[in-house]
Amino acid sequence: MSHSSADISARHGTRMTRASRFARGMRLGTPIFLGYMPVGMAFGVIATTLGFSVLQAGLCSATALAGAGQFIALAVMRTGEGVFAVLAATTVVNLRYVLFGATMSPHLKNMRLPTQAILAFTLTDETFAVNIDDQRRGLSSGASMAGVGAIAWIGWVAGTVIGAAAAGWIGDPTTWGVDFAMAAMFTALLIAMAETKRHTLIGIVAGAIALGLPELSRLGIHIASSWFIIIAAVTAATIGLVVFDE
Amino acid sequence: MSDTFIWAVIVGMATANFVVRFVPIAVVSRVDLPRPVLRWLSYIPVSVMGTLVATEILRPGGELQLTLLNPHLLAAVITGVVYRVTRSFLGATVAGMAAFVLLRSVLGMA
Repeated sequence: MSHSSADISARHGTRMTRASRFARGMRLGTPIFLGYMPVGMAFGVIATTLGFSVLQAGLCSATALAGAGQFIALAVMRTGEGVFAVLAATTVVNLRYVLFGATMSPHLKNMRLPTQAILAFTLTDETFAVNIDDQRRGLSSGASMAGVGAIAWIGWVAGTVIGAAAAGWIGDPTTWGVDFAMAAMFTALLIAMAETKRHTLIGIVAGAIALGLPELSRLGIHIASSWFIIIAAVTAATIGLVVFDE
Repeated sequence: MSDTFIWAVIVGMATANFVVRFVPIAVVSRVDLPRPVLRWLSYIPVSVMGTLVATEILRPGGELQLTLLNPHLLAAVITGVVYRVTRSFLGATVAGMAAFVLLRSVLGMA
């Protein structure tokens, strides 16, 4: 009897560990939730003006989870373009995920394909930042990353549904400072990641490039803003690779 | 917009967004990357974060604001200080949002 109850508690313990890792990920992702709710609401409101039902807006957010990619899609739809133009736009905006995915990959080596699929599905700028910071501390696991993804997904989908359902009487959500939530979280994450002089310098170089790229239009060089992140990040990381020895 | 068109967009978006995220992970995690590539990848997160912060703080709404009266910049400084002291992302985010609302109303800028 005592043997079997020990087994049960051991099994229970394992299950708790995994559940508590998942719960820890959800707590880590709370700032993402705070940022996604209002932006999701904005998406819901705009989508209904283009003829999306509440169900369609919610499903789009639930299955695409694409943030900027979804807003771009709406903008292209509004111009009267066809489905392929819409999909091309969202894909270009989300090309940076190729880079994010490659960066995450060394940490996802021993995971099964279905687990990788779940984590890939919830890969966004914000979940990437939170998970990569957690990995740097050595605390991250598949379950915690899934927790971060889950809370982000809930915030995005709930926001969209609320926005679409209440499109008529929601005021401007930016009055509560929610439009600064993402910027604040990115700032805290940047400081957490800039732990060595080398990383600080690379981060500053990347920021400077990102600010400089739009100014190139004065020289007649026009780059679509959807490319700024990927160009600045790739250039700064390459400079870091060339300048710093191992 | 026609209902068929909206459904086509929803299905297409779901597929396009999943493929662009999943394929690199599925492929790259199954090969051994050379050391320089790994080192290059290790610089990507801080680069991405530098890019996002610079854009959100100094070019809010697409307009370059290199002034000390920029509420985004001041609120970001407060966010950074709170993070350094508390080491809490949630605490720093909430403090940053509160500081932003306050600064924006004081400085009277959007």
